[in-house]
Amino acid sequence: MEAIERNLREEAKRLLAEKKVDVIVGYEAGTLPLTATPTFITDPAEAERLVWNPLCVHNLAKYVHDVITQHRNSQKRVKPESRTRKVVGVVARGCTSRSIILHLQERQYGREDIVIIGVPCQGYIDRKKLSVSLNGEEVLSGTIEGDEIKVMTGTGEKRLRLSDVLADNCITCRFNNPIISDVSLGEPASAMKAEEEFNEVNAFEQLSSDERWAYFEKEMAKCIRCYACRQACPSCYCPECFVEQSRPQWVGIGGDASDTQVFQIMRIFHMVGRCVDCGSCIAVCPMGVDLRKFLKKLDKDAFELFGSRAGSSLEDPPVLSTFKEHECEDFIYNP
Amino acid sequence: MSEEQGKATWDPKIIAIVCNWCTYAGADLAGISRIQYPPNVRIVRVPCTGRINPFYIVRALQEGADGVLVSGCHPGECHYLTGNLSARRKFAMLKKFLDYIGVESDRTTFTWCSASEGERFAKVVRGVTEKVRSVGPARRLVKSL
Ligand code: SF4
Ligand code: SF4
Repeated sequence: MEAIERNLREEAKRLLAEKKVDVIVGYEAGTLPLTATPTFITDPAEAERLVWNPLCVHNLAKYVHDVITQHRNSQKRVKPESRTRKVVGVVARGCTSRSIILHLQERQYGREDIVIIGVPCQGYIDRKKLSVSLNGEEVLSGTIEGDEIKVMTGTGEKRLRLSDVLADNCITCRFNNPIISDVSLGEPASAMKAEEEFNEVNAFEQLSSDERWAYFEKEMAKCIRCYACRQACPSCYCPECFVEQSRPQWVGIGGDASDTQVFQIMRIFHMVGRCVDCGSCIAVCPMGVDLRKFLKKLDKDAFELFGSRAGSSLEDPPVLSTFKEHECEDFIYNP
Repeated sequence: MSEEQGKATWDPKIIAIVCNWCTYAGADLAGISRIQYPPNVRIVRVPCTGRINPFYIVRALQEGADGVLVSGCHPGECHYLTGNLSARRKFAMLKKFLDYIGVESDRTTFTWCSASEGERFAKVVRGVTEKVRSVGPARRLVKSL
């Protein structure tokens, strides 16, 4: 991990110094202990700030999209001959690279607009799991040593196993190494428990319809519609989201439980073939809504019905932008 | 009104979203040929099943429809060549997803019905009405305010 971090800083410095990129989107140490936060580096001397460790939660593809779109919008009022391009370097693990592939497939920017610094990934720490293991005590300081986390709280030092607090999506991740990259750092990471990735969905499918509805209803009742999940999602880049549209108003903004349920169904359904299971929405949700249970279902169905995994290859088109003449006829009603 | 009475007087409300080029004409043919079918469907005509935003179906259920029927041209017969083929992928995913969250599978039906199939249209409507009747009035996802 330290070696990768060193290489990362070297590489970032070189890319910036050689003017191959205008900005590097990466992670730096957060202001709170045991956190990391996205950072934007433009000066080679600042490259020392970059970190790469299991605290790096965010899917940086979101910021790549933001930076490029903002720059492009800022160029609209510039004379065509004096317009500039902005090349963004990004620190990308498996899921970030999948989101980038989706952006490329959805023509959000060109391959020449980005430089992908691929990093192997062994999963990130789920803050909520960490907090539960610490009985909700505040983290005063902490370090990660190998696969152990040393945490200092008000009641003394605690040692936790890293594997006990990894995010659910990381534990069963199938794509923990970048799928595309221009520069790759370190050896590919070893596989996670990918064979278990659909276990949770399979178990949920076994419940009765009433139980499934009860669970859906209970989870969605927690949602306060802060839209943090959407803000954090790299696939949610619409300039105007359906929830804010008022002509027509797609989804009610009142307190009725069904409005929230409909909002969630539609946001989740916008993720068909577009959710890379990076866990960003879950990480930011203040209410702990179990979004993954539902998002993962789409992943499973798209894979089982159409053999497609979101962003798993630059060549495979997204699942809903293609079709075959003969496929999935069995749900068609034939009286 | 007690719940029992309510059930006895309840008759399914079904929203049928159908393609202008096939099923809509098929429904017309059923009418012209005087084929009887239950009066429970309210037809919404769209230019193509590919035009149907999955949101229409979810919203119909939220607004109190007991069932939703979507019908378009048989694969290979789309007026716009492939609209129904891309729609099929969307609907396959939607039907499974709604079932997964606990909205009964019998409430959403997808089928193909051409302009010459008046008899088939009547059969579909009969079948769908029966299916919806057997699951009963919509309870889930329905807006109450
Ligand atoms: S929820 Fe849907 S409409 Fe809203 S930003 Fe995400 S993809 Fe776009
Ligand atoms: S982040 Fe959580 S509470 Fe906020 S809108 Fe999303 S699911 Fe609801």
